[in-house]
This record gives sequence, C-alpha cells and structure tokens, in this order.
Amino acid sequence: MLVLPVAFYLIFCYKPMAGVVIAFQKYNLFKGIFGSKWVGLDNFKFVIEKMRDFPIALYNTLLLNMMGLIAGFPVPIILAIMLNEIRSTKAKRLSQTLLYLPHFLSWVIIGGMVLQIFAPTTGVINQLLLSWGVIDKNIPFLTDGIHWQITYTLVGVWQSMGWGTILYLSAITGINMELFEAAKIDGANKLQQVWHVTLPGIRGTIVVLLILNVGQMMNIGFDRPYIMGNPLVQDYCDVLSTFVYRAGITNAKFERATAIGLFQSVVGLIMISLANLAAKRMGEQGIW
Amino acid sequence: MKKLFSMLLVLAMLLSCFAMPAVAEDGWATLRVEVFDRNVAGFNLEDCMQLHYVQEKFGDPNHIKVEFVPVSRWDEGEILTTQMSGTTAPDICITYNGNLVNQYIDMGGLKQLDDLLNEYAPNLKAFLGDELLTYGQFDTDEDGVKEQYVIPARRIAVANVGNFIRGDWLAALNMEKPTNIEEFEAYLVAAKNANLGGQMTIPLDFGLFKSDPLINVKRFTDPFIDYSKVTEEDWFAYSLNHEMLPGSKDGYKWLNKLYHEGLINESFAIQDDDTGDRYRVQGYFGFFSQQPDQPWRTDKNFETEMEKNVPGSYWTPVNCLKNVYDNRTLHDVYAPNGLSIIIPGWVSDETAINAIKYLDWMSEYENMFFLQNGTEGKNYLAVNEDGIPIQVQATDTVEDAYKMHAGDVCFISNGLFYGSDEKNAAATAIPFTGYEDLVKESYGYAYTDTWTSVSFSVAIQAETDFGEMVKSKQGEFLVKVVTCAPEEFDAVYDEAIQAILNAGAQDIIDEHRAAYQAGNFRGTFPGAPTAE
Repeated sequence: MLVLPVAFYLIFCYKPMAGVVIAFQKYNLFKGIFGSKWVGLDNFKFVIEKMRDFPIALYNTLLLNMMGLIAGFPVPIILAIMLNEIRSTKAKRLSQTLLYLPHFLSWVIIGGMVLQIFAPTTGVINQLLLSWGVIDKNIPFLTDGIHWQITYTLVGVWQSMGWGTILYLSAITGINMELFEAAKIDGANKLQQVWHVTLPGIRGTIVVLLILNVGQMMNIGFDRPYIMGNPLVQDYCDVLSTFVYRAGITNAKFERATAIGLFQSVVGLIMISLANLAAKRMGEQGIW
Repeated sequence: MKKLFSMLLVLAMLLSCFAMPAVAEDGWATLRVEVFDRNVAGFNLEDCMQLHYVQEKFGDPNHIKVEFVPVSRWDEGEILTTQMSGTTAPDICITYNGNLVNQYIDMGGLKQLDDLLNEYAPNLKAFLGDELLTYGQFDTDEDGVKEQYVIPARRIAVANVGNFIRGDWLAALNMEKPTNIEEFEAYLVAAKNANLGGQMTIPLDFGLFKSDPLINVKRFTDPFIDYSKVTEEDWFAYSLNHEMLPGSKDGYKWLNKLYHEGLINESFAIQDDDTGDRYRVQGYFGFFSQQPDQPWRTDKNFETEMEKNVPGSYWTPVNCLKNVYDNRTLHDVYAPNGLSIIIPGWVSDETAINAIKYLDWMSEYENMFFLQNGTEGKNYLAVNEDGIPIQVQATDTVEDAYKMHAGDVCFISNGLFYGSDEKNAAATAIPFTGYEDLVKESYGYAYTDTWTSVSFSVAIQAETDFGEMVKSKQGEFLVKVVTCAPEEFDAVYDEAIQAILNAGAQDIIDEHRAAYQAGNFRGTFPGAPTAE
C-alpha cells in the first residue's frame, strides 16, 4: 500500500527538484534545463540587488506568518479542549463541523465575503457601527496597512482553526482516562484537570506542530494574500509568493522565481532545524 | 489492489510522456490553433459553427484535422508561457503580449517565417501589406537584415478612446454637453448634488485596472500635460510613464480633488472588475471612458441593460477632455498592428506549412467574411448594398449552435473587414442598430487630434525585467495620490514617483531613450501645436 504515496513523492516532489538548477542558469524555456547557460549566482544577485520589493516581500512574509502563528497557534488547542468538554455528542459534532467548514472554502470566496463584510462605507461592519453611532469614521480594515494585516491574520485564524483542532482532539482522546479519574479523586476541578492532565498529555503533539509551523515561516500561500491584498496596502500585503508571481511568472523569468524559491527553502530548512534543536534541548522528542 | 494502483501509475506516467503527435497514421495531419476564449455562455469553441466551417472548407480538402485550443483571453500570456515551456503550445499561437514575443525570439524559440510566407501565403501577404509585416521582423543574428518571426494581425479600426456621458442626466440638469475640463467638473458636481443616480450616485466611473493601472487613467491626466515643455525624445522615453511628464501632476491633483468631493467611487482601489460593469448598468455612473463603441456592443450591451434598470437613461459620446494649455482634445490610436501570431520553433515543417496555408485561407475574403459575420438569417438578418451585414443579432439572442466570436477565430484581422477602408469605416456604425448616429459621433471624436501609440522595434530588456514591478508601483501611486489628504499631495506625489523610478522605471526610461536615439521607435509625438 506504500506504493502510491511513494510514487506520489517521487513524481511530484523529487523529480521536479532537479529543476532547481535553473536558479543558476539563464533559463531558456525552449532549450530546457540542459541547453541553458550557467550564470552562477547572477539570479540571486539580481533579485537581491535590483528588485527593491524583495526585502519588503521577505519582511511581510515573516511578519504575517509570525502574526498568524502567535494569533493562530493557541486557538485550535483551546478549541480542542473546549470541544472535548462538550457532553452531548450531537452538539459536539455540530460545532466541530461548523468550525472546520471554512477550511473547505476557497480563498476566492472568502475574499468576496471579506470585501462584503469589511469594506469601507459599503461593508456590513462599518455600516452597522456607523448607524449605531459607535464610530463616526470608517474603520479602514482593508485600506490601512496595519489594519489590513490584522484583518488578514484574523481571517486566516477563522479559516483554519476548526481544521487544526482535529489533530489535538485525537491527541486528547489518546490520553489515558485513568489519569483524569485519578485527578478527579485527588479533588482536581475541571480547570486543574485541563492544566495538569490534558495539556501535558498533548504536549508532544503541540511541540511537533510548533516545529512544523516554524519551518513554514518562509512559505506563504499565494491565493490568500493575492486575493485579500489591494494596491492601497501594497507595502503591507506584498509577500514572497505574490512577488515571485510578478517577478517570475508573469514575464516568464522562471530562473528568478526558482532562485527565490530556493532561497525560501534553504532559510526554511535552517529555521526548522533550529526549532527542532531548541525542542530537543527542552527535553522534547522533536521531529527527527 | 496493488496491481491496479501500479497500473494506474504507469498509465499516468505514460500519458504525461506523450507529446502531441502532429501527423496521424492515416495520412491526415492535425493542426492545433489557439483561440481566445471569452466565456460566452452557451458557446463551445471546441465544437462551434466556425470550427465546422474551417474543417469543411479548409480541413477536409487538405486532409488536415483542425482543432481549436481555447485559451482564456485574460490569462493568455501566462498560459502561453506555460505551454511553451512544456512544448504543449498549439501550432499557431496568438498573443497580445509583445514583450513575451520579444523574449521568445531572443531565446530562439520561434519559427522563422520568411520563406513560408513567400511560398504559401500570397493572399495573406496581400491582406496584411508589406509595411505591416515589418512589425513582425527582427534582426536576431545581427547581420543587418531583419527576419520575419511574427505575423502581425491587421488592425481595421485604430480608434481607442471613447468617452461617454449620461444624456438623461444632462437634460435633467438642463446642461449642454461639456466641452472642456471646467465644464466637465461642473457637470460632475451638479450630478452629485442632484443625486441623479440615487444614493449610490458616482458621477465619474473610475476603476483600478490592476494589470496596467495608468493606461486609461492617463486619459484624465494627459489633458494637463504642457506639450510645449515636452521634447520628442522625452515623449518616447516616458511612453510608459506619462505621470512624469510636465503637467501630469496637475492632472492627478485634479483627480485627488474630485475624489475628496465624492465624485469618484470611494473604494475604487478594492472593487473587483465586475462591480464597475454592474454599477454602470444600474445607472450609478455619470461618465465613463472605454472604447468608442463600448456602450452598444452586442456582447456586453451597457446601453440596453441600463435602460432596463433606469427607463429613459442613455449614454452619449462626449469630447470634453480638452488640454488646458492648447485646447486640443488629443486621442491616442492603436498602432496598425494587432495581436502577434507566432509558430513555435519545434513545430515540424509540414505542420508549419499547413499553419501558413490556414492563415492564407483565412485571408480570402469569402472565408474571412463568414468567420467574422456568421450565417445570414441567424447572426445577421440581411446585407446592405455594400455587402455589409445589417441587423446583427446580439450574442445572447443567437441560438447556441450559431454562437460565434468574430475577432477571436479570425485573428489575422483585428476588427471587421469589408474589403476597403471606406467600407470598413461605413460598417463601424451599422451593427449598432438604433444607435448608428451616436456610434458615428463617438468615432468622430476618437479620430480627432490623434497620435499613434508608441512602440519599439527592439526588445526593451528593462521592460521584461521590471515592467510588472513598475506597473504594481503605478497602481500604488495612483491610489495614494488620488486618496491622500490634499495638503499632503505634493509630498505623497514626489515619494510615489520616486518609488516608481526605483522599481525599475528609470531603467526602462533610459532604455527607451537609447532606442529612440538609435531610431528604433514607432508611433507619433503630438508635440505642441504650431502657432496659427
């Protein structure tokens, strides 16, 4: 049964890796990898020295991912614990389904919803707040840099939180029930049980997921920032993926796109190694 | 189970290895032709009336199976590049992205066409003409002789600019059509004050066209350019950066003022492309600027749609964007070449011959006429004394089996062709039944004080390197200078201009300047008017 996943990785992950060499070439898409000229580090130099948006995109990528991690990482854990405490199976299933439904929405749809809800003047929230007299000026959710970044982060948390709970929920189910019973006999209340039994019980899972998340620091999806972004907040929403799209794909400069991608991967590898090292130092298992 | 999986895998791998074979075993050749797809409801390019006609009249007699390969009009450049790098591109490719074509030529990826055209394409050469063909010639081996790598489509109507104002609003306000910027602004203000479009009144339709933010905005800001301070060299150097020409700043200041007076859609920067069309037919707009025949087109008829929502409303052409220094109403017109037709280098010689034969067949008048106009009684009801179809039916009213897209299939001609310039001109207004006079008036304005848009006959490397970056900065510039507080305008403007220059515009300007000095340029400079 392992044939399929192994084949998947060979065909779609390892074979394309050979293409990484075009980061060091002046890539000619008609001559292919073998016919193109080698140029050493010229592509990296060009991107770093000549493309002034690159540092901005790099900074935004790290910032948005960091914000997402800080705001988004604890939420699934809290949700999982809360879901775990719901007694009625029906209510539990219903709330779980409702929570992870957004995960299945495409960003194009979410982008449209965000526009309807957060737009200045015509957005639902601004209209409500204005008509109630809570605010006397539009809140620039989408049109001011910092506001946009917060909106972006929270929408991301909303979209992914339900999905993230699945892993934690299963980890919680894996905790030995006797531990809870023992705690109860010792007189621990609900909160104390959570603190002294549930959380330590899923600590391993939390650490592994944290390491993986840190490893993803340099990666950012394309559709979310591209769809939610707008020129008003260009300096705040331009991230590596949208930058690569503009700098590499739209004008067929694949070698530059690849160079940036390689750079991303190398930094990602360094970060994940550091996180793993730190986790091991703290006595956790780590991921390798 | 295991076996099934591995078999599926092997099958998948085999499938991905197969490139498209050009010649079938039975002696029939295949010819794959790219055609733009515009998502017309009920219309299937791969099985349409036009394709059946091509197959019957051209394919069958020549033992060629013609296939149309639909490519989304709006992503055509990216799709083409992907197809080129995967060698899955059609045998005949088309694109509006000249930059991309220049790159393909630089990489040596296109078929050289001189001999093929001379041998197999007498009709095509006659239709395009020698001058137009030079637009597709490039000196790649630097021997001083240019070779033909691109077949430029012929543009029938070069008019580009159409400005439209609400006739019913003018009547309601008891105003005449504005003839200059001042009167235009007075109209916008009056329309806003009277709330003629209801609560949502937006007197000036102003959108952000992300892929080239300033291309249409310059229609509003160019009238502020002081042409007596612009040299011809600067005109060509700054051809993609009119925002830096003397006087343009005043234009953006004017837009900033309009924005703060509430005459422009407040959230223009974040509205998606469809919103503008929707607002337009709901009658919220008092003015918009697009192509000269835009309100009355059969595929997207803003006029009739708006009339349904707002009875009595109508669009009428206006010529009010007059230069504040010299009283001209300048209009840019397209260069005589349309999209670029190319044949990828790996295409076999036999297929390339078939491709050229196909284009040659397409340029015969009878075939072109059918491909562009369709079937009498279905797509149009009759022809007039000049042989020009009249009572042309709107796309959505034609039966699915007869749906067609004129320009996209017959791509050697950008625009409908009826045999001569006079007939073509006479024909421009005919399809717009009931609106002929308005269309004529609109084209009249579009051909007033014209200048031909600028292009260069050499590849501008900086455009490839920085073009997209510069455009994105131009979008940011536009939003910033239009929405910033008026007292901050000067500072914001200077900073945003600097950002455009830093993003690579300086390199582009320098390279344009060098190309101008070397004489590798096309298009016209309107210059300052000569004293009368």
